Amino acid sequence: MRKFAVVLMVLLFVAVVWGKQTVVVNSYMSDPAPKQVFAELVQIFEERYPDYDIVVNTFAHEDFKTLLRTWLNSPNAPDVVTWFAGERMRYFASKGLLAPIDDIFDGGFDAYFPKAFFSSCSYDGKVYFLPQSWYWWGVYYRKSIFEKYGIKPPTTWKQFLDVCETLKKNGIIPITIGTKYLWTAAGWFDYLNMRVNGIEFHTKLTAGEIPYTDPRVKKVFEYWKQLVDRGYFLENHTAYSWQEAATFLFRGEAAMYLMGQFIKDVAPEDVKNDLDFFRFPIIDGTVGLYEDTPIDGFMIPARAKNKEGAKVFLKFIASEFAQEYFAKKLGRLAANKNVAPPDPHAEKGLQMILDSDGVMQFYDRDTNPEMATVGMNGFVQFMVTPGMLDQILENLEKERVRIFK
Amino acid sequence: MRHRKFSLIFTYMLATLIVIIWMFPFVVSLFTAVKPLDELMSQKGLWLPPKSVHLENFKRAWTEANMKRYFLNTLIITAPSVLGALFISSLAAFALAWYEFKLNKLILFIFVGGMLIPFQMLLIPVYRFSVNVGIYDTYLGIILFHISFQLGFCTFFLRNFMKTIPRSIFEAALIDGAGHFTIYRKIVMPLVVPALSALGILEFTWIWNDYLWSLVLIQSDMKKPVTLGLTTLQGQWVSDWSIIAAAALIAAVVPITVFLIFQRYFIEGLTVGAVKG
Amino acid sequence: MKSKTWVPYAFLALPLTMYAIWVIFPIFQTFVLSFTNWDGVSPKFDLIGFENYKRLFSDPYFKLSLNNNVKWLLAFVFGNIPLGLGIALLLDQKFKGDRIYKTLVFLPMTLSFVVIGQIWSWMLEPRYGAINSFFRAIGLSTFAKPWLSDPKIVTYALIAAASWRQIAYAMVLFLAGLKNVPRELVEAAYVDGANKWERFWYVILPMLRPATIIAVTVNVIDSLRAFDIVYVLTRGGPFYSSSVLANYMYIQSFHNYNMGYGASIAVIQFLITFGFILVYLLTALRREESTV
Repeated sequence: MRKFAVVLMVLLFVAVVWGKQTVVVNSYMSDPAPKQVFAELVQIFEERYPDYDIVVNTFAHEDFKTLLRTWLNSPNAPDVVTWFAGERMRYFASKGLLAPIDDIFDGGFDAYFPKAFFSSCSYDGKVYFLPQSWYWWGVYYRKSIFEKYGIKPPTTWKQFLDVCETLKKNGIIPITIGTKYLWTAAGWFDYLNMRVNGIEFHTKLTAGEIPYTDPRVKKVFEYWKQLVDRGYFLENHTAYSWQEAATFLFRGEAAMYLMGQFIKDVAPEDVKNDLDFFRFPIIDGTVGLYEDTPIDGFMIPARAKNKEGAKVFLKFIASEFAQEYFAKKLGRLAANKNVAPPDPHAEKGLQMILDSDGVMQFYDRDTNPEMATVGMNGFVQFMVTPGMLDQILENLEKERVRIFK
Repeated sequence: MRHRKFSLIFTYMLATLIVIIWMFPFVVSLFTAVKPLDELMSQKGLWLPPKSVHLENFKRAWTEANMKRYFLNTLIITAPSVLGALFISSLAAFALAWYEFKLNKLILFIFVGGMLIPFQMLLIPVYRFSVNVGIYDTYLGIILFHISFQLGFCTFFLRNFMKTIPRSIFEAALIDGAGHFTIYRKIVMPLVVPALSALGILEFTWIWNDYLWSLVLIQSDMKKPVTLGLTTLQGQWVSDWSIIAAAALIAAVVPITVFLIFQRYFIEGLTVGAVKG
Repeated sequence: MKSKTWVPYAFLALPLTMYAIWVIFPIFQTFVLSFTNWDGVSPKFDLIGFENYKRLFSDPYFKLSLNNNVKWLLAFVFGNIPLGLGIALLLDQKFKGDRIYKTLVFLPMTLSFVVIGQIWSWMLEPRYGAINSFFRAIGLSTFAKPWLSDPKIVTYALIAAASWRQIAYAMVLFLAGLKNVPRELVEAAYVDGANKWERFWYVILPMLRPATIIAVTVNVIDSLRAFDIVYVLTRGGPFYSSSVLANYMYIQSFHNYNMGYGASIAVIQFLITFGFILVYLLTALRREESTV
């Protein structure tokens, strides 16, 4: 009998040790800075909730995008995944691959986050996406270079062209961009389209309701072509990832980069303070000022094994403390509305958004994922061979008809 | 005789030139790995030798990138995969080399055909299968896949080698009343050892170097092999070329060493497998 | 041995089962998938007949990829094989240190494509890359090209990177073939007054026929399933200009949510390759019958 008791105790002991719940988190935060901060957050969570064991698997960004789909479909799905709000999330929600998370918010979604976030975090009235941070896009530039040539941040298209010309004359690459993974080009399309045609048009276009051969779309490319034809963009940009292109800016060989706030994640310490941004220049004074403000966060796959554990973790991530911790260390804006902008730079970003007339997410988050790939390929092709614009747009139109049929 | 000497010098010169060209990419990677970042960026030329040698990039790649763990994983995956593929394919090769039966040629045809198909054909179904059976993201899952996937080549290779063994040995043993499995184990296998070593070395490098299948079948950081670890690193240190170069060289070190030590087997393996069809 | 017919099957049971599960059956699944519109995400999908195949024929990127595969094939067969043969002939001569030379040329064969891709990204990088900065340094800046971003040359740059490894492979095959050329035969020709060129053309080359056939088929098959280098270096970009079938299939299936469409590309790739697989098998098996 005693033997039995010993066995039982051993078993119990094992059960307690093994009874720790595991929550598997697959993350795309592979840049050193966010990876580090997220690891710290996980550690704090584990200290506060000793029953939970969080296993974080980090993947290179581009691999992650490819693999997510396969995970969501597998019975072995991770419990939590990082992702983007908007269409990219809704696509999966519409296929029934995500678990709703409404019940983690005491007092409802609105008690935590701005009302404006609800639509991009929900599908069919249910919340599927937990926003962690958001950020703005802007034209990032080197203050020292601008000072050296007496350049002031431009506000209009005309001024912007002048700035580019001055820089080019002085042997500086006016605008750097790395289009190997395509999406950076979509930033240019978004902004040009929003400045030329406004947000309503842009929304309809991304929803697949407007042909890409529409003359108004063509007009967007006419502005873009001015920059391409005059050689204001970095040469051979299709050979670079966005980070590699950023090094031209960091080394002072290039002066501007249309990019999200996360460019600061990869900037060397001594360059960080020399980086500032200005609002994308106004093209048509009668069109409102619209911005791209992507929201990053987390989702729970419908097939996750430990949904309850995942929710406990996400509840922690939604908390003021965790949101502030993440935002502060990375200089982003916390999604939680009770957290103030962490630094003057972020305050400036927030102010720019508050002053705007409306916001979008980003081309590849606002439109159908398949259309996004085709579209961004077209944008890059245009940047290399602007003469083929008509052909490119016709092809995009053909694909739009097929995808949104 | 002078003509001969001239031709020898010519041979040396040409051969040396070719080797220099061939080594150029290696040398560039080595230079990149030992240059500090600012030298890399200010020097404007990756082909230039480093002004000073910095070995800490290797250390950083090893520690910060968790390369140690990735190495261990690769070993855990590679060793059983190679042994399993050798053993299981030797069974098939034995049957196909020594027995005459109706489906012999067809089965051989299937094995070889499978080894030549565009492997992308398998991607989606293999992934789905692993997930459904519950071996997704396990060492077992990827090991079983590697074994099966290599069966085509291994069987073809071993069967061809067995074909070169005189048939009389096999027939004499049968007449002596030896069992079929005994013949396989006691008579044929010892004779096949040279082929097995050659094949083993070859398979070792192939499986060691695998990237795509680990990408599809493994998701945990703790189980990723070295190649996958290297690309994870690329995502993390995109613009820090020195670290990536150091990691790439670390990843290359084992297959290169194995090759240098077992060179003879390696080359034999490649040529016997392909030429002696 | 016809004594017991079940014996060979007993030996084949395990290997064949595993092969069937992980290789044969998936091939058929891909065939089936190519007639569906499965997006890789939804639990359900429909059979859509030949829709995917019809779409292929009006898809400019599919044609582009196919076209690039042809370039790979031609370069592999008419570039790498003669080069591999040339290097093999050069290094096959008896001279001191010949083994070291062979070893060094062969080294890339041992590397993972991930590593090769990474190494070549530093070779081909437009601004600081080894090739361009080298050309600039020796005053040949006109040869410095944007290797990976100019749609007109990117495919050739990728082929060059792949050839670094592939030529070594051809060399090894020919070196082995040369071992089988009886020395006496070459010496006899020498005594008969045949010059170097004649000895090569009339004596050595015919003896290398088997090695050549294998080298050609292996290279054709490898060129048709080229993937890793393309994926690591450009992902088929810029805008599909360096895409090959395997890469396009992967992009369509795993990036664009078109598993069904991707499967149809894989099937086409398979059908094209299959012809060459047949050639390979027939030569391999026929030679065996003639020697047995």
